Amino acid sequence: MCHSAGGAFRDNDMFIDFFYQLRDHGVPVSPTAFLTLHKALARGLVNSLEDFYTVSRGILVKSERYFDLYDQVFAHFFEGAVLPEAEGLAIDEMARTMLEQWLQNPKELADALGIDENALKRFTPEELIEYFKERLKDQTERHDGGNRWIGTGGTSPVGHSGHHPGGMRVGGESRNHSAVKVAMERRYKDYSLEGPLNPSMIGEALKRLRHLRPAGPKDKVNVDKSIYQTMKNAGEIEIVFDSSLKDRLKVILAIDNGGWSMDPYIPVVQTLFDYSRAQFKEVKTFFFHNTIYETVWADASRYKKPTTLNELARRDPDTRLILIGDASMAPYELMSQDGSIYITDRSGRPSIACLHFLAKTFRKSVWLNPVQKARWPYTRTIGTIGQIFPMFELTIDGLEKAVAHLTAA
Amino acid sequence: MSGQTFSGASRYVLDAELAQIVNVSMALEMPLLLKGEPGTGKTMLAYAITESLGMPLLTLNVKSSMKLIEALYQYDTLTRLNDSRFGDSKRDISDIEAYIKMGKIGQAFVADRRTVLLIDEIDKADTDFQDDMLDVLDQMEFDIIEIDKTIRARHRPVIIITSNAKKDLSDPFLGRCNFHHIAFPDPKMMRKIIDVHFPGMSGSLADNAIEAFYRLRQLDGIEKRPATRELINWIRALQTDPDFNPKRLLKEDLPFLGVLFKKSQDFEQATRVSQRRGRF
Repeated sequence: MCHSAGGAFRDNDMFIDFFYQLRDHGVPVSPTAFLTLHKALARGLVNSLEDFYTVSRGILVKSERYFDLYDQVFAHFFEGAVLPEAEGLAIDEMARTMLEQWLQNPKELADALGIDENALKRFTPEELIEYFKERLKDQTERHDGGNRWIGTGGTSPVGHSGHHPGGMRVGGESRNHSAVKVAMERRYKDYSLEGPLNPSMIGEALKRLRHLRPAGPKDKVNVDKSIYQTMKNAGEIEIVFDSSLKDRLKVILAIDNGGWSMDPYIPVVQTLFDYSRAQFKEVKTFFFHNTIYETVWADASRYKKPTTLNELARRDPDTRLILIGDASMAPYELMSQDGSIYITDRSGRPSIACLHFLAKTFRKSVWLNPVQKARWPYTRTIGTIGQIFPMFELTIDGLEKAVAHLTAA
Repeated sequence: MSGQTFSGASRYVLDAELAQIVNVSMALEMPLLLKGEPGTGKTMLAYAITESLGMPLLTLNVKSSMKLIEALYQYDTLTRLNDSRFGDSKRDISDIEAYIKMGKIGQAFVADRRTVLLIDEIDKADTDFQDDMLDVLDQMEFDIIEIDKTIRARHRPVIIITSNAKKDLSDPFLGRCNFHHIAFPDPKMMRKIIDVHFPGMSGSLADNAIEAFYRLRQLDGIEKRPATRELINWIRALQTDPDFNPKRLLKEDLPFLGVLFKKSQDFEQATRVSQRRGRF
């Protein structure tokens, strides 16, 4: 930072900059959280860059998966290399985001700004933006008045002219590193989003698929309903029975286990398979190679136990169908009437028709693809299959989206 | 705020970052959400805060079937029915309030001093429970419908929420909390933790046990990696043999592996590795 005059306002700018850098790099920071951070700064809870590192992370970043990104942005930002940005624009942009949030949740924002929710409702959007800017200036003036947001002993270690905060240590904390050094250690690399999908994550994601429904004989007393009915009958006792809750969710897992193209993904598919067996009462697993023709197999060698699609279609249509495969093959395998690479499979119906048939039979279905999403456009068949089944990346995020899709009513 | 700050308690080794976030959360009167691997001391932290601030602790152990109302209050209709039938209690049957029992959140609200409210393993409950609960904690009040009475918090409790979940909680929930992730302690930190738990233990046993422990955590294909709790129990087990030579640990001669690995597959895997190395 090379601002010598008007440093206070620049400081303010700098926080907005920092906020935006976090956003730009994909850390989901909300304006409300940013205002909370301001509150903490205004109350003098932050007295050094170390404090700032910890406190702003605690307030702004709500998942350890983004800690690594935060560390990187922090290190980059406070190393001194700050990207120039037009100040007015920054505030306007900030206000616009805030406005979006206000529309979603007026109460939360009202609390953060410290005004009454009803008062906030009377603001027009323009007024709200003005109000917000005023508030920011308020903060600045207060800052001028001596209550520094960051800094001890009269110098602000942040944003001071020519000062390099990177190597600074303020305060008596017996930590061995400066905040920037701590940030540069990237202690949270393992938790970031791009990390490998591990068993417990899969278990976590699949757990959401479980849902309980009443089933079986009505043999359980519903106390609440009984009381209600009894009261309605003016004291004449009426006992209401319900069926007990059972997990009735049925899942069919179809795994592409053939060919070298799926080999790199075997461990992750294996884990998914193990966990889904542990999670669901009723899970049927079938295997196929590249794509599905008339038959899938219940045995992994795709030899002993064939099951035809017609047999499969007789299952409960409410069954959730999860297909796992890289969906990468030669286009004719999908399109041609006898495209199967296995001669016995050639029935006259192209695979794409079989897939359509499955998608129609089982309304709730997804295709999980272990291939990175960024690489999907390079394979034609991925696009084609993606039009038939909602396709998700086989990562923790993709899995969560897939589960959300499968559970949606 | 009574100006109290938190700097760590006798049995809990606190890193500076965490202490700071606890203090800021107390000052901002926001709940603190703690995440981390099991065994990193999430629950222990609440105990430690309680101890060092001298506040009473109220723990709400969240269960999957739990309804929010249970955490607030319960109307004990059964006792009232019983009293009305047999009339052998001193309670006034016509006074419904006598049959209202406060749940953990309710207790924290009506307590005559500031308390620490630990909401343990919030991820077990469904999203509705989580959001509704934060509404109550935001407003610091709730209604008892049966007696048409509003309970307001007399003192805003220090709220610590723990979660084991790998997945994130809902956005509105996160928006209202401060967040900290407790990383698994590094060996140096672990040494401090062990020293706190075993004052006056021989240095070589601690060093060697910790070294072996971290090596075992690195093993491939372990489903449930041993955590601090397991290490402490393991050291306790090793101590039962007064003649145990800590040097054995360095030669991969590891007794009581069952204390560290609780899944049979993990146990077999660890045993296999330890025997294989032992032969060389």
